[in-house]
Amino acid sequence: MRILLVEDEDDLRKPLAERLKAEGYTVDQAADGREGLFLGREYAIDLGIIDIGLPRMSGIELIRALRKEEKGFPVLILTARGNWQDKVEGLEAGADDYLVKPFHIEELLARVNALLRRSVGWSQPVLNCAPVVLDTRTQTVRFEDQPVDLTAYEYKVLEYLMLHAGEVVSKTDLTEHIYDQDWDRDSNVIEVFVRRLRKKLDPDESYKPIETLRGRGYRFVLQRNS
Amino acid sequence: MKSPFRASIRLRLLLAASLVLTAFFGLTGLSLDKAFRYAAEEALKNKLQSSIYALLAAAVEDGKGRMTLPRNLTDPRFNLPDSGLYAEVSGTQVGYLWHSASSVGRSLDFLQQVGPGQSHFQIYDSKALGKLMTLNFGVVWEDYAGHEIPYVLAVAESLQPHLEQIDAFRNTLFTWLGGVALLLLLVQGWGLSWGLRPLHAVAEELHAIETGRSDRLSGDYPRELKSLTANINSLIRHAQARQQRYRDGLSDLAHSLKTPLAILQGLADRVGYDGTETQHTLTEQVSRMNQIVSHQLKRAAASGRSTWIRALPVKPAVERIARTLDKVYVEKAMLWELDIEDDLGFQGDEGDLMEVLGNLMDNAWKYGRSRVRIGGQGNAQGLELHVEDDGNGIPQRQMAEVLKRGHRMDQHQPGQGIGLTVAHEIISAYGGELRLGQSDLGGTDVTILIANGGHAGDTHPYG
Repeated sequence: MRILLVEDEDDLRKPLAERLKAEGYTVDQAADGREGLFLGREYAIDLGIIDIGLPRMSGIELIRALRKEEKGFPVLILTARGNWQDKVEGLEAGADDYLVKPFHIEELLARVNALLRRSVGWSQPVLNCAPVVLDTRTQTVRFEDQPVDLTAYEYKVLEYLMLHAGEVVSKTDLTEHIYDQDWDRDSNVIEVFVRRLRKKLDPDESYKPIETLRGRGYRFVLQRNS
Repeated sequence: MKSPFRASIRLRLLLAASLVLTAFFGLTGLSLDKAFRYAAEEALKNKLQSSIYALLAAAVEDGKGRMTLPRNLTDPRFNLPDSGLYAEVSGTQVGYLWHSASSVGRSLDFLQQVGPGQSHFQIYDSKALGKLMTLNFGVVWEDYAGHEIPYVLAVAESLQPHLEQIDAFRNTLFTWLGGVALLLLLVQGWGLSWGLRPLHAVAEELHAIETGRSDRLSGDYPRELKSLTANINSLIRHAQARQQRYRDGLSDLAHSLKTPLAILQGLADRVGYDGTETQHTLTEQVSRMNQIVSHQLKRAAASGRSTWIRALPVKPAVERIARTLDKVYVEKAMLWELDIEDDLGFQGDEGDLMEVLGNLMDNAWKYGRSRVRIGGQGNAQGLELHVEDDGNGIPQRQMAEVLKRGHRMDQHQPGQGIGLTVAHEIISAYGGELRLGQSDLGGTDVTILIANGGHAGDTHPYG
């Protein structure tokens, strides 16, 4: 999952980005509104974390500009003032949730998680496509109630596929949403991850949860249960 | 007790005008009355003098050459009994006493001894004839023997007709003067109303500003009021600008304090929950600082009612917040209904209104299950708003806690309390009231009452 983080205060942005990366997100950082808009246009962002008080282009303007260009990813605004006028203005400009500074990183992670799920139609933190159950909070996967041991990238791929369960997800989508911008985008790597996932999840091939659509990508075929 | 004249310029001017008019007409009346009485008295004296001459003219000589008067005189009033004109002639040395036929059957008592050539006027209250004006006139009559005999000729005229005449004159005079004075007073009253009309216009415009229909005095006022209205306008502009500066200053302060706090918080979080005392203390203190800063800033920013600010429409603000809350609590799919009068206005700062509504509605969305209702109406007394939800409601124990005045936010557990406390602080600054109750939807019913004309610092029911 690719997160756009726009915050002008280095001391706040950098540790936040580190923590998000540690949680398995891919993070694009910007220190001002213009840079944020550039990154938002350039990359396949899944969620934006945008500070309202930004230099060069305010957070509100940035959100408006992104929405005008039909970037529909959810946006979480960070506001220092915490007054309702700012919150309402931000939400009206196109943000989806707000967080008042200072905040606990855990709170931010919970909001990010919820917004990401919500934007693709999941209301619960646990993605249940029986017999595959993925808990986004603990980043653990169970198959037929047995824990499945996945690497960080295998988890990322599965989470992305499950979040978009029932939809076709191209290899490009997966690469863009999972890798940092400076990674080598070799689609063969994705194929490798998917193959490994299939083996770990469903060694007997009794469910075949991930379907390959030739030339188009993958689809997670198990029904959403929540 | 306050004097009514202190309360009304109109009353003062009317009183002054009435006093002047009364004095003027009173003195005019008195002088006219005096002049008329003097003139009437002079006329009467002349008449008496003429009567004396008539008596002298009528006097004839008897055998010895002494003065004697005929039985009947030419003036018929001397001859008719009780005509009101009486005469008496006496010559005591020769034992002569004559009186006119008009005094028949009455004893005359107004004759006085006066020397020859002297005359004496007198107002005399006679027992027999009532009030009289008398004239005694002394003459000397020489008889054939060459003796000079002194006589006194006395005439008296009843004052009754004279007094009646004066009374009639007075009646006419004072009726007319009174009528004219009344008319002038009415004209004066109308003139005052007309003259004071611009003041009423100012009052009405100020009321319009107070109720938010206008934000400045716009009327074209007379020269005498121009400086006043111009000053009021500049006061209004000044108040608005100062409030804006104050607010901007506060939010800048908030911003500059909050970001360093966020960094500290991030630092504390990054160290991880290893449970060291330093980290624990850091987290705790940052959180305390943050709560104190937020609380104090919100309290300072809650400005209280300002008379000089246009009333804000409540309904659009509620709708805006409801739509944004729908976004934040999208998975709740809250059903909300509004029952707010379209023209309901809040007399105060927009930030305060948003803050109160935002906090209360956020609670409703957060704690309600599926339904929220927001009602609002205004009347002459003030503004009443309800925010109701179908949640579990606030426990009785917490209600009192939440509304305790001056209760510090950092002593609160997270929950419904913080939002309510913030809203309560702001409402209090407007001299209003926040009540908690049970909604028929099943959850909490938060009621806000803000009276018209109340202001910051009013005594508070929870004080």
